[in-house]
Amino acid sequence: MRNMKFRSLILYFVIFAFFAGLGYYIFEFTRESRDWAFSPVNRHLSNGSLSGGKIFDTNGEILAQTVSGKRVYHENEDIRKAVLHTVGDGSTLISTSVQSRYNAGLFGYNFVTGFGAPDYFSSNQDITLTLDSKICASVSKKFGDKKGTALAYNYKTGEVICMVSLPTYDVNNRPDFSKDTDGKYDGVYLNRALSAAYTPGSVFKIFTAMAGIENLSDAETRKYECEKVKIIDGEKVTCMQNHGKLDLKTALSKSCDIAFCDIAIELGKEKMTRALEKFGFNSSQYFEGIELTKSVYDVNLASKADLGWSGIGQYTDTLNPMHMLKIMGTLANEGNLVEPFVVKSFSVSGAKENQKLTKTSEKSVISKITAGKMKEMMRFTMKNQYNDSLFGGIPMCAKTGTAEVGEDKLPHGWMVGFSYDEKFPIAFVVVVENGDFGIKSAGPIAGAMVKEMHGIFAKSK
Amino acid sequence: MKTMFSLLLYSIQLILPFMAILIAYCCFRTLFKSLKPMRPLVVLLNRATGEKIPIMYWENSIGRDRHCDIVLNMPSISRDHAVFYRRKGGWFISDTNSKVGVLLNGKKIESDEKIFIGDVINIGGVALELCRADVLSLKNRESEDADFDYDTYSGGGLLVLVTIFQVLSTLSVCFGSGKFDYKPAVLSGIMLLFEWLVFVVTKFGFKRDNFEIEAIAMFLSGIGVVNLCGVDINDAFTQLIAMALGIILFEIIVLLIKHADFCMKLRPYVAFFALALLAVNLVFGKVKNGSQNWIMIGGYSIQPSEFVKVAFIFLGASTLKGIQTTKNLTWFILFSAACMGALFLMGDFGTACIFFVTFILIAFMRSGSIRTVVLTCATAALGVAFILNFKPYIMTRFSAWRHVWEHPNDIGYQQTRVLTYSASGGLLGLGVGKGCLKYVFAAPSDLVFGMLCEEWGMILGIIVLLMIVLLAIYVRHAGVRSRSAFYTISSCCAAGMMTFQMIMNVFGVTDMLPLTGVTLPFVSLGGSSLVSVWALMAFIKASDERTYSRG
Ligand SMILES: [Zn+2]
Repeated sequence: MRNMKFRSLILYFVIFAFFAGLGYYIFEFTRESRDWAFSPVNRHLSNGSLSGGKIFDTNGEILAQTVSGKRVYHENEDIRKAVLHTVGDGSTLISTSVQSRYNAGLFGYNFVTGFGAPDYFSSNQDITLTLDSKICASVSKKFGDKKGTALAYNYKTGEVICMVSLPTYDVNNRPDFSKDTDGKYDGVYLNRALSAAYTPGSVFKIFTAMAGIENLSDAETRKYECEKVKIIDGEKVTCMQNHGKLDLKTALSKSCDIAFCDIAIELGKEKMTRALEKFGFNSSQYFEGIELTKSVYDVNLASKADLGWSGIGQYTDTLNPMHMLKIMGTLANEGNLVEPFVVKSFSVSGAKENQKLTKTSEKSVISKITAGKMKEMMRFTMKNQYNDSLFGGIPMCAKTGTAEVGEDKLPHGWMVGFSYDEKFPIAFVVVVENGDFGIKSAGPIAGAMVKEMHGIFAKSK
Repeated sequence: MKTMFSLLLYSIQLILPFMAILIAYCCFRTLFKSLKPMRPLVVLLNRATGEKIPIMYWENSIGRDRHCDIVLNMPSISRDHAVFYRRKGGWFISDTNSKVGVLLNGKKIESDEKIFIGDVINIGGVALELCRADVLSLKNRESEDADFDYDTYSGGGLLVLVTIFQVLSTLSVCFGSGKFDYKPAVLSGIMLLFEWLVFVVTKFGFKRDNFEIEAIAMFLSGIGVVNLCGVDINDAFTQLIAMALGIILFEIIVLLIKHADFCMKLRPYVAFFALALLAVNLVFGKVKNGSQNWIMIGGYSIQPSEFVKVAFIFLGASTLKGIQTTKNLTWFILFSAACMGALFLMGDFGTACIFFVTFILIAFMRSGSIRTVVLTCATAALGVAFILNFKPYIMTRFSAWRHVWEHPNDIGYQQTRVLTYSASGGLLGLGVGKGCLKYVFAAPSDLVFGMLCEEWGMILGIIVLLMIVLLAIYVRHAGVRSRSAFYTISSCCAAGMMTFQMIMNVFGVTDMLPLTGVTLPFVSLGGSSLVSVWALMAFIKASDERTYSRG
């Protein structure tokens, strides 16, 4: 019998295996239970047995609320579709949405009681957004069946007034994405404003121009020579037109490729990279704590011609729309960035007082002189190249871009800019995927968006 | 008013884990307290040297080998010479194939011979006289039975705690849907009546004082029944019937294995019965969820492999005499191979794994040979590699492992639901019957751990698991005190089997191991599984020295 004492120790292998497994499971549970609980497969979220806080837009429109145990979204389908990526669909699939990020507050979830705490204890929070849902809806509709994103914010206060991402869908009538074979819903859960980076095309010339101004003493005064085609080390760089001799201001307004190609080559890889990294390329940028898809400028392996192409927003350059919006806001605000945000306030359901989220802190990103010069150059571009009628006569500073993305596809169309008059402090970014020329595709959307915002702005004054 | 009521109802969620901890504490406290310091039962006096050899165990090996309980180092003595053991009738000696034999009062013994106080046994020239333990001027073990210990809890007290827990959880499930439903209360009432009946019968009929094992098993299977009330009252009723049958089978087995030597004689019949069950299963088996491990009898589906588990433990265990006389495990290895082969053919890989691990436990408990364990594992690894080489598609059944969130609507369906709803329940749970996991296929059986976490809370879910593990720790500690090596081996292997099955189940559904579809002991929906786990508890009960002390 005595040796049974030793032999039965083998049981401890099984017992230790259990404790090791249990320990690891508890570790995983504490780390990931929130993600598990808010997974889209959770019927507690979709069957509406949970109460949830309300989500308002800036005008008090209720974008999402819980009515008799069911999560209900805005009654207008266009608004539901337009704010989907900001509000969310009740799951964590759209991870950047407010309902995913603040789900614990909205649904009274916590680690100890799960979703089980009786209503008495649960303190569902209401959230007010800075968005104007009506503007979002009309902007979103303007995209038709194109993909892309449109952003606009007040560069003095930081409030994001419009943020839409396409493709979108109606939360009340979710399509079966698994049957989507023609790519109509590719990346539907992404908020493209935050989680995408596109080839920038000519809007990148803003950065090249700033790099030139800050690094070359005669960047603005010298004459650039455009003969439509330029051969660099045997490789061709072509411009849209034969522009002849032109200065920087004209080169930007006419979007002359050769001029900016020359600046990039003259600055060289190192100076270009250093300048672009100063503007936020190749590093993490954030929006309300959400890490944006990085904007990339990488010319390590570029040939001389490639370097030229990189100066005009082709080669391997990519640009994140929200990042670009911040740059626009910075240029408009004399080189000082007011961080954009979309959550205006939290409040406990029923309680009156609002907890104002303090935001408006400015930080100097670009020198005041460079910003001022860019503002004038972009104003010049707007006035002489595009015509102010696009924005109904509102004086704006802007630049379009047409980014080549492949032989058989239409280019991405960009339009970025901001108001000239600081009394109407608006900056915007519009990207239309495969939309053709920037002025043709993104232009009308930007125009309508700015005009609508101006109308509301004028009324409120 | 409504708020007050929902608060009251929710307070049950707070009380239940607290009660569960209390029940676990009281049961195991009493169990471990029952393991008093060991005192000698009798003494063997060496006539030549005057050495008094205290006899601590019910079964003692005598021989030259240093692993023997009584080591007599003389060249004339065989390595394993004899076994000296105690039965209801007194003390016995049995020659285990020694070279020179054993003499009792000068006469060579043929088979097992009874020894009285004062008798002299001669083992290879060493004369040993059987004396009472009091020659050591120590109290003998039996006389301590009267000692009262303030730290232990009576069987009735434990059952009162279990009753309170079951009443509270039944209340929770009755109001689960918002309105009062009387059916769970009726069911739970029947369950409580039966539990108390069992208590009265064992206490006054069988004159047994120890009730901890029953209390633990009733607590656990009670959670299973109440949990089912929130899903389907008919399933809950079936489960209750199975629980009753399980308890009856438990009592029958406890009585049946009272005499370890009788068990040894029963073995060929049990082996035949087990193999016949497997053969019937292979021929008439129905395929359910990818494995053909069900047979239909009169409208009820039965899982024969669950009962073979009990037979497997029964056949693996042996008295010390059995171990010393049959050194090789050939017959048991053949039987195990037959079982595992049959399970593989049925496609029930989870149960095959459980059998394999239990086989290793049994083989090591019997032989003590690490070489055997290593060889077995190596052989099994080769075998599995061989099978996978020819049938690689078996692996696709486990391809979701650690990738469940990439396949939430097909191969990762069950695991993702378990995780999401476990997290929804938090530590305290939503309330019995208020969960969503119950709508998922196989939730009350294979995925029941997820249901426990969602509806009863993660704390309670973990306590359930810990109670099964504590049982394993307890039997390991109680081990050598039992009345025969038969009980030591069978209880350790039964507890090991349950613990391993629990590992396969819990970590399978939470995606830490591949999902194999085995049940969680006691709690899972499944009549065969519940009856068989109660039968396994009988081995643990039998290993408790107190079980057969009266009546
Ligand atoms: Zn040109």
